Amino acid sequence: MAEFATASQQRMNRALMGWLLLLSALLAAGLYAGIQVLIHGLHITDLSDQVAWGLWITHDLSAIALGAGAFTFSAAVYLFRIKRLEPLARPAVFIGFLGYTSAMMALALDIGRPDRFWHPLVYWNVHSVLWEITWCVILYSTVLVLEFVPIIVETKWFDGWTRLRQFSHNLHKATPFFALFGMALSLLHQSSLGATYGVLSGRAIWFKPSMPIMFILSAIAGGMSLTLLATMVTGRLQGRQIIPLTVQREISRFIGYVLLGYLYIKLWDWAATSYYSYSPGIADALARLQATTPYTLTFWWWEIVLGGLIPAIILLYPPLRRDNNAVAIGLALVVMSVIVNRWNVTLSGLVVPPEWSPGVLGSVVAVRYFPTMIEVVVSVGILAYALLFFTLGVRYLPIYGNRESSH
Amino acid sequence: MSDQNTKEAAAKSRSGEENSPLISRRDFLKIAGATGVAVAFTQVVTSGPLSGDAIQGIGERLHAGEGSEEYDWHMVIDLAKCIGCNYCVWACQAVNDVPDDNMRWNVGFPERTATGEEFYMTRPCLHCAKAPCVRVCPVGATWVRPDGLVDMDYDLCIGCRYCQVACPYDARRFNWREPTGENQYAPTWGSTEQPRRARGVVEKCTFCVHRIDRGLEQGLMPGVDRQATPACVNVCPVGARVFGDMSNEESPVARYLREYPTFRLREDFGTEPKVHYVRPENRRG
Repeated sequence: MAEFATASQQRMNRALMGWLLLLSALLAAGLYAGIQVLIHGLHITDLSDQVAWGLWITHDLSAIALGAGAFTFSAAVYLFRIKRLEPLARPAVFIGFLGYTSAMMALALDIGRPDRFWHPLVYWNVHSVLWEITWCVILYSTVLVLEFVPIIVETKWFDGWTRLRQFSHNLHKATPFFALFGMALSLLHQSSLGATYGVLSGRAIWFKPSMPIMFILSAIAGGMSLTLLATMVTGRLQGRQIIPLTVQREISRFIGYVLLGYLYIKLWDWAATSYYSYSPGIADALARLQATTPYTLTFWWWEIVLGGLIPAIILLYPPLRRDNNAVAIGLALVVMSVIVNRWNVTLSGLVVPPEWSPGVLGSVVAVRYFPTMIEVVVSVGILAYALLFFTLGVRYLPIYGNRESSH
Repeated sequence: MSDQNTKEAAAKSRSGEENSPLISRRDFLKIAGATGVAVAFTQVVTSGPLSGDAIQGIGERLHAGEGSEEYDWHMVIDLAKCIGCNYCVWACQAVNDVPDDNMRWNVGFPERTATGEEFYMTRPCLHCAKAPCVRVCPVGATWVRPDGLVDMDYDLCIGCRYCQVACPYDARRFNWREPTGENQYAPTWGSTEQPRRARGVVEKCTFCVHRIDRGLEQGLMPGVDRQATPACVNVCPVGARVFGDMSNEESPVARYLREYPTFRLREDFGTEPKVHYVRPENRRG
């Protein structure tokens, strides 16, 4: 066996070691930056009373959206009993777990009083969409943990723990219930995150009922894309086919259709609010955005063309869909598009605040926001956390079946 | 023969009814039940305990009894009278202990009308009747009192800043840093009457709610008696700010509103502010 530890395998191990070290270093840097924020307060960010949400809220929204693969694949496998998707259920739950915990880390630093994170659970304002989101996210994270426990308990480390194994087995039997509950919670909060912006009558560029619909559709497309992409990359690195190509192409096509639906709503959202009509608030905000920010580039090119049309073509045009590299690029573009969208949505409403002064001088054209190094390092650290634990999880947990048994 | 046919036909139709009735009693009960539940639900959501007007969150309940429905506090800011001295800004900072100029609750800045007339614009919290900030707070740390004031409980606030994002008038301030340092405006512009807020919570103009509540207890009338009137109103050397109870026709604010045409900031937002402005063009001799 030792002779078979070939040179290529050694190279692989060394690369993995380097990767883990890099991620650990980034995580440590993020931890340091996070502690700095807790010590000094949020003034070391570039956030202001006008742009009160920035990079971390984008991170939080993106991580939750990209974790949506968990509820879609769980529902598909455990609720709708689509057996051929089963190999994706565990990685989806795992990625969802990493995404939601990432979001909680970003939020814990972003709120001014992390010591009061529990307040929404005790002090209710049922009319706040953010209150509903807090409840849904906490309940859904619990669901993710319960779905995740059996994966850990299955490992050989828990061989002696018969009672825990029994508990985990019972948990596993409840998966259809978790899948149903998780789907309901996800459909709620993934949409409500869009409604967070969509319900604010004072910000014309946000104030529209399409917000929650665009958020849920992009979350489904992005979440499934990330799960499938992670699975393809893992398979490539491990030199094996984790899911049959037919299943990979079937999911790719489904994501393509969701993207089309998303683009359709985005098209009419733009056409109805900007092209075929004149809404002073929206027209004014867009004009100011175009004058002061690269919004045209990031919206039309990054979100719509690069992140929407191109991946839709790749995932729906059969010759491209049969090309693994093209599909991987397409999926990565969808993931990118979700992140860029969450950034665009958050910042577009904030950097060009509504005018309220009756004069002509006092109106703010645009508020500057550029994340500070501390904000970037924290975000990179949280990203490193997700990648580090994904790498370790794939290696040591039965996420993608049992590697040894496939030999 | 024909008799037999009709009998058969009748039997057929009867059995047909039994096999595939349009609506069975069971189905009818189900539909009726579901409709009943739906109606009850819409009732609860539109006018019951979950309705928009019924609940503003725990803050309102924790502070029940603060502010009486008998009063309806409004403010007029006469932009034609204002001379831009900035005293109202400084008095607010002194009385409410806002040492940081970036955190002014009551802001003032030079302005110009579209026709080129110079004026000075000041803006406290507008205390909207339909306050967007109140609706969005996940913990109910801010609420509209029965007397119309948008109040806040700094001990409930988690610092998520959704209220800042929701407020279209930029009226809310966040404690980005530890609020240390001397207040250069006190005691020159008034003595400090309120405790400083902690780092990490949002704060806002309260129309000097502490003066209003204490004043009413002492039998004073806010807007008339100085001890019960917001600091910014008292300090104004030209009387450009008028405060009072709109439910009393003889209050200074009610009389002012009768006398001069006023407008409110961005009424198209549907926020129904309690601060009224007199246009700067309305110069009077």
